[in-house]
Amino acid sequence: MSAVGLRASRPAYALFVLPFVALYAALLIWPLLKGVFISFHDHDLLSNESFWVGLANYAELWDDEVFRQVVGNTIRFVAISTPIFVILSLSLALALNRPGKLAFLLRATFFCASVFSVTLVTLVWKLALMPGRGLLPQLLTALGLPELPLLTDENLALLTVALITVWWIIGLPMILFLSALQQIPAELYEAAALDNASRWRTLTRVTLPSLKRAIVLVALIELIRQFQVFPQILLMTNGGPNNSTRPIVQFIYEQAFMQLSLGYATAASQVLLAIMLVGVSAQIWIERDKKGGRA
Amino acid sequence: MASLKLQNISKRYGATQVIADLSLDVAEGEFVVFLGPSGCGKTSLLRMVAGLEEASGGRILIGGRDVTQAPPGQRNLAMVFQHYALYPHMSVRDNLAFGLRNIGVKEVEIARRIAEAGRMLELDALLERKPTQLSGGQRQRVAIGRAVVKEPGIFLFDEPLSNLDAALRGRTRLELAQLHRRLGATMVFVTHDQIEAMTLATRIVVMKGGAIEQVAAPAELYRRPATRFVAGFIGTPGMGFVPVQRAADEEGFAVLALPGGGRLRTRVPAVGLPAGALSLGLRPETLHPAADGAIQGSVEMVEFLGERTLAHLKLADGSALIVTLNGVRPEVGESIGVAVDVNEAHLFDESGRAHHALEPSA
Amino acid sequence: MNPLLRRGWFDRLLMAGLCLLALAWMLPLLWVLALSFKPNEFLMARTDVFLAPPYTLDNYLDILGTSAVFRWLGNSALVALLQTAGVLVLSSLAGYGFARCEFPGRRWLFAFVLFGLAVPAQSVFIPLHHQFTSWGLQNTHAGLILPGLAAPFGVYLMTQYFKAIPLELEEAALLDNASRLKTFVRVILPLSLPAQATLGIFTFLACWNDYLWPLVIATQPDMYTLTRGLASTQTNFAQSEGLGFLMAQAVFAGAPVLLLYLFFQKHLVSAVSSR
Repeated sequence: MSAVGLRASRPAYALFVLPFVALYAALLIWPLLKGVFISFHDHDLLSNESFWVGLANYAELWDDEVFRQVVGNTIRFVAISTPIFVILSLSLALALNRPGKLAFLLRATFFCASVFSVTLVTLVWKLALMPGRGLLPQLLTALGLPELPLLTDENLALLTVALITVWWIIGLPMILFLSALQQIPAELYEAAALDNASRWRTLTRVTLPSLKRAIVLVALIELIRQFQVFPQILLMTNGGPNNSTRPIVQFIYEQAFMQLSLGYATAASQVLLAIMLVGVSAQIWIERDKKGGRA
Repeated sequence: MASLKLQNISKRYGATQVIADLSLDVAEGEFVVFLGPSGCGKTSLLRMVAGLEEASGGRILIGGRDVTQAPPGQRNLAMVFQHYALYPHMSVRDNLAFGLRNIGVKEVEIARRIAEAGRMLELDALLERKPTQLSGGQRQRVAIGRAVVKEPGIFLFDEPLSNLDAALRGRTRLELAQLHRRLGATMVFVTHDQIEAMTLATRIVVMKGGAIEQVAAPAELYRRPATRFVAGFIGTPGMGFVPVQRAADEEGFAVLALPGGGRLRTRVPAVGLPAGALSLGLRPETLHPAADGAIQGSVEMVEFLGERTLAHLKLADGSALIVTLNGVRPEVGESIGVAVDVNEAHLFDESGRAHHALEPSA
Repeated sequence: MNPLLRRGWFDRLLMAGLCLLALAWMLPLLWVLALSFKPNEFLMARTDVFLAPPYTLDNYLDILGTSAVFRWLGNSALVALLQTAGVLVLSSLAGYGFARCEFPGRRWLFAFVLFGLAVPAQSVFIPLHHQFTSWGLQNTHAGLILPGLAAPFGVYLMTQYFKAIPLELEEAALLDNASRLKTFVRVILPLSLPAQATLGIFTFLACWNDYLWPLVIATQPDMYTLTRGLASTQTNFAQSEGLGFLMAQAVFAGAPVLLLYLFFQKHLVSAVSSR
């Protein structure tokens, strides 16, 4: 440890990080730990009594049919939306990875929706899907197609919300792919051109292999984010119809604020956290590989 | 002005020892250049003097005061960085004033010093501009100005000319020499360019592998290099070396058997010459073609440099030698003889130590 | 440059297709915008008229007359501005500390902070809410602002940025007798303006659009943020008579964000791609 120069170690320098770390510890780490702690209790918010029950909450979650369905819904939501996210954003990125005003405008257009709040988006789409007077039903009728009960049908509701979510935030993964595309050295394409590679060949043999890591990364990022889905489902279908769209976070929310059983809610939060940590660990593992393997 | 004394300095980066037991005395007013190839430790040494790196061992004394543990700002020195390190968002004036304001110098005094430095370095017109609006040469003068206004005991320069183009480098070299004359300040200058060192220094510290090879004035370094490394490093091109065999001494001087059969009676005293392989060191400037010259070689390449022409020769044993042509225009492949001036012939033993010819008597 | 799209006619076809797609993409938004200028009574009967009359500004006037919307707007603005300011200050200080300073335990502390990047807000909002309630911070501006200050993303961003600033500048400041704090404020901070802008925009937007935390911490309508407030009006409006009014609300809520986006597009995109 140096005592001189910039690398001198002084305890006083810790004051730079202290304000943030204090808030961080108090408002993120402490609630996290507290949450784990409470999840081992039966804590009724009405009477404000809490007593230790060990793993009973988790056992109950395991047997809880509603929770299972909720987890199932969330998995289905992620399974529907993630492939669409990846394929659509990749296609858009590939098509729009070019200079020029038009491409710029188009990129801006597709990204635009992601700056709006979820309530705005759900309001717009609820209006657009209104039976009879909504934009979509009118378009369908004009084309001679039957009106679909998109938000009120058990089998269609989750799909609909998933598609709306894609519509909303397609911009973010598109940008990620665009920056990955821009890191492919131009020489690769030039070599392929000299090798007489067709457009399709270049795409499949040059571009996509170079994007392999980015694809996995984007898929993982979307997976992690969509596992936490909540507001758009709450506002569009409120978990219905018939529990077919209720996600994990809504379950947590209702357990805490409607059933008022804090222990059960925090136990469910820990389950969500565990799933998140697995996902993020995978993300870090892949990204580390990227740094090490760069030629 | 202050003197600089380095006592038994050593520097370790982890397990690698970069400098071991280095000592040096720099007197007041000297212009000392740390010269050497990259990795020789010259920059590490400078940064230790500045206080930007900590010495693993040894002491640093500035003006007689032990500053080994002192913070950089308290060592009575100023530094001109390789990339100038000007504060990009401050005007030139604020760049110059920053250090002085931090130690509480009065604004009147600050203004006076800035005006004087501005005059000396032709910065008057640039004082209100930002560094991004300046050319490379102008930025460098501001960096020097920042050091000048501090009125330090020692100026440190970290390869300041390496970022300038060739024409500007020559001009700036002159300006630095003038600055030294004008301020009479102690200056420590780091470079890998031996021309800069030769033209600017009062004394040069030649370094290799973290150790000092030789400390001497430029002329001494050129005429009597202490080691084979110094001899080959100084000069454009540096000294050339030919492996030779010892023949019987004559009159106390070493006699050499040269490749190709020639014989050379040197003026190097035979006493003190160690056994083992010897190299004959010859500077191209002292070698000219002569039909009856002691060395014979075939011409591999001819280089026309304008003020002189060099020929690269290959000798009988395969070793290479560069000679200066004096009007003769040999063809490639032609065999020519080279005359050796024995007063400029140096011998180097196996360990690289030099053995010089005796000074010619008046 | 992507040589995939060099051929002439395919290129043009592709761009035309994308333009159509973009138009379709924007269609719901444009539809809402168009209809917001139609009177409510008209919309009860039919909604298939886009650009033709009737037009009215009544819906927007009604919004201006509703004090609640302005209250919500004010809350959102206040909370977002204060949180952004707080995040910028805290993240810059901590970022510099981690990037350039040495102190005992630095590495551990940094790893500790990075761990938080993996923890989603959804996992801690329940105990956090419980905590805030017991501190009496429910339905206060402080309650809305504070949790956002603990997010490690800003610290991560600023740390990376400060690491890239040349060391020579700080060494020069050291030789200029500047204290660490002075070096930070006078030399380093002014050079970090692009990163500050990026982080600032990103934080402002995230805070403005946040739904979950305001939902749980602000239960009284006068403490609602715009996002939350807008949601509270989205009750059973299939039978609603105020369709035009609802649409005007949507436009009203979206306009500031859109303006922000148009001006600061560059920074937003760089914030996203730097993750």
